[in-house]
This record gives sequence, C-alpha cells and structure tokens, in this order.
Amino acid sequence: MTLVPVTYKGGIYQHDIVIDLIEDLGGYVVQKHVLAQEVVLQCFVPRDDIELIREISRPIFGEVTDSPLVGTEIAIVSMSLEIHHLPHPSCDIAEYVRRIGAKSNMVSLARGPGKRITGLNDEERDVINEHDIAVYLMGNFETCIEHKMPILLRGIEVPVVVCGGPDKETLIRIVDPPVEGYVGGVGRFMRRTKEADQLDKLDEIIAEITRVLEKKREDVSKDPLSVSPARLMNLIRERVPAILEVTSPTPLTVQMAGLRVKLPYDTFAPELRRMEIEDGIALGDIAEVLPSRMRDYILVKVLPFSETNTVI
Amino acid sequence: MLAVEYFEVECPEPVGAEYYKQITNDVLLDHNLLKVIEKLHVYIDPKVPLFIAVGILKPITTVVKVGDIANVNPQEAKMTLVITEETYLASMLRIFWERFGKDRVEQPDRFTVVLYNVPVEAKEIEAIVIGNPSESLNKDLIYAFRQIAPEGFRLRSERFYQGKFSFVASENTLVENIDELVKAKFALMGETP
Repeated sequence: MTLVPVTYKGGIYQHDIVIDLIEDLGGYVVQKHVLAQEVVLQCFVPRDDIELIREISRPIFGEVTDSPLVGTEIAIVSMSLEIHHLPHPSCDIAEYVRRIGAKSNMVSLARGPGKRITGLNDEERDVINEHDIAVYLMGNFETCIEHKMPILLRGIEVPVVVCGGPDKETLIRIVDPPVEGYVGGVGRFMRRTKEADQLDKLDEIIAEITRVLEKKREDVSKDPLSVSPARLMNLIRERVPAILEVTSPTPLTVQMAGLRVKLPYDTFAPELRRMEIEDGIALGDIAEVLPSRMRDYILVKVLPFSETNTVI
Repeated sequence: MLAVEYFEVECPEPVGAEYYKQITNDVLLDHNLLKVIEKLHVYIDPKVPLFIAVGILKPITTVVKVGDIANVNPQEAKMTLVITEETYLASMLRIFWERFGKDRVEQPDRFTVVLYNVPVEAKEIEAIVIGNPSESLNKDLIYAFRQIAPEGFRLRSERFYQGKFSFVASENTLVENIDELVKAKFALMGETP
C-alpha cells in the first residue's frame, strides 16, 4: 500500500467522518487545523483510495488536493532576522511552503550577512541538519554568493536548494560545492510577493523543493524505514499522554525519516525508548531517540530495514 | 518615480544593479522619502565591497501646525481638538503642557484633546507650530539607506549638509580616498559635494 500526501479542506460540519475514513483506510492525519468554520487536514492516504475519499467528502463540500510536501520539515535559512530579509522574502517563502503542507522552520544565522564576516556555527549547522531539506535564501550579487556558499555549506548533510538573485545557470556555475537545487531570480527584495510573476517564482521554488524531496523519498524507499513516521506519530499520541498537553502548533512534527517530539528530552526519552510498538518491539529497537538542538526537544530517527531487519 | 529628476544605480553586476534599483525604489517609497529627493546616484561594488549613495534633496519649507492635524472646536470655557493625524500628537501635547500647564490639558481618548480655560482664540491655537519634518529628515534618510545597503556593510560614513548627502558603507574599513569617489559620483549627476 503506497501512502501519498494530500490535503483535505472542508467545513467543520461532519469532518470527523473524513478523519474516521482516512484512519479506517490505513492512512494517517499528520496535522489538523481548525480555522473558524473551516478544517484543513494534512494527511497520508492510500493512493488507490483518494477517489473514495473525494466521493465521500463531496456531499459535505470537502476538497482533496495533492500536497507533495506533507510530512516534511523544511529549514528556510535566512541570512539574518534584520529588516533586510524579513518579512520579504524569508517569511513569504516560509509561509508559501506551509500552505502546501510542509512544516517550515526559519533558521536565521548569527553571522549570515556580509562576505568576509559570514560564518556558520555548530548549533546552526546541527539545527539545519535536523531537517529534511534546507532552502538557502541568498542575496543579489554573484560575487557574494560565490564567496559565501562554501562557508555556509560546511558540514551540511541534508539536501540544499539555493535561491539567489542571479539566474539559475549562474548559480549552478558559482555555487561550490554543488547543491541539489537552484532557483534563480529570487534574491533580496523589499516588497510583498503578490504580483503574478512573483507568485510564479514562489511556485518555482516549490517545484524545485518537491523535485529534490522526491529524489530523497526515492532514496529512502530503496531501503525502507522500519516504521512509518506517521504511524509512529499516532502511536506516541496514544501512548504518551503528555504530548496532548503541549501547546505548540505541531507537538509531533513528522519528517521523512523521523519525528520531532516536542517534549523535554531528559524526562521523556527513556519512556519513548521503552514504548512498545508491536509484538514486543520497542521504539528504541528500531529508532534512535536523540536530543534535538532545537530547545530541549527529542528527535526520533527511524532506522532503515537494513539495520534492524524489521518492518512493522 | 517621476518626482526624482535623476536616479541611477551603478554596479559591475548588471543583474545586481537591477535588483538594487528596485530595492532602493521600494524602500524610499515605503518611507515616503521619494518626494524629498531630487537626484540620487547609488554605486555598489560587491567585490571591494563598497556601497555609496549620493544625492541632492529638495528644499523643505513647510512646518506642521496644530490646524494641519486637528480640528479645533471652541466651546464654552473649553476647546475640543479632534485629532486626524497622530504623528505629531506627542510634540503637540508637550507644547500645550509648557504653555498652558498640565491641569488645563486633557486627553480623554486617543483622538481627542480638550483645553480648559485657555486665554487664546481658536485661530491662535491652530497656528501653533508643532513639528518640522526637515528636522527628522536626515535621520529618516540614514535609516532608509541602512536598509537599502547590503546588511553586512556595517561600517558607515554619512554626511548631510546643505541639501546634499552622501552615505558610504562597507564591510571592511573604509579606504582613505573615499572622498574622491564620493566627488566622482556627485560629478556624474552634474553636481559638486
């Protein structure tokens, strides 16, 4: 059964029918937003059953759309939190990827700006490496991008998409070491992205992120995970009641090969490791439970089949 | 853009120049400063790195009076001012307090000020000068250019005198012959610093 990421949008009335249906079909609801009278569900559902969900949600005016970024956590790396980069373009891009299902975090560098003074410290590097993909928002000058990229990419292990002012071909030529994705024509700007051509650029960034993530997904599927992170999320929600008390918008953040649990590491890590998943297999057997560099959260990295010899 | 007589961005990278022209325009427009600038020349060299902005300002002669931001309604033994624009409200209150005393000035809500038993006519109140936009202009311009210049360019030298200004910023220590460069940029606009 292949699970595909989709977004369901509909009215609040009878939306639990849809949630029950998704769960009965073997899918998972990753995130649920209730906005006044509207409900947005980001979920994984079996590919063959999308039509069925559409059919059943039609009478209650629900809409099901593909959203390839559901279940991914994206780092939007902004050079600083100064007015030079915020709210445009950093927030515009972070918000745009959120709309199609991704969980985006903005990572702002302490020494991002400048050419000579630029740097990346160990905390920033580790935080970026905890995500599925990093989107670097660079400036308008190719001289600067060429000079800065080797420093800013030092120690980064996740796929990177570089956005910058020069066109795509120039970016491909100057960025060293090469990265997975490039989007040209999106450098620093000081206006809201609302015109058609600016929105096209945002779509281009999404397309590039999707392309890079699809490739990563393929790589993951070659050596499948011992347990699906979405399933793990549901299990933790059932077995660790403390997670229900967390006020963060996404107490459990699903990633492609893991999960961020927003509970203190020292208190809850042993409990998580002991948590039984199925047939006496504990979470600690098939996943690494690590301290996150983001606050005192827990990072669960699911191990692949080749390491555990188990798939549940 | 029509208000500015001369506006150029010079940069060895043509794509960068194009973006910076847009940024300069957006920032100055946001801060309402395009109307006070007559000529502006921006030079950026990311290789050095160096950012220079030189320009000529339009003379500003207008001052803001009470009548410009409020409607004055004289009533029996009191005068009610209905505020339409808050920008100069604080300085207006300060002037009233100094002139009439705090016990005679009251602000019951955000957009209303009441003066009790003041020995002047409504017309006189309307004519009180409460602000001079040209005083804060230099501060506003520096703030705007700090936003326009690339963020890493933190070493700055600003000069504002007799309606002309120059703003130089760099990431490294500014070179000694910067005045020559500023002069050359003024010359491009047909002016002298």
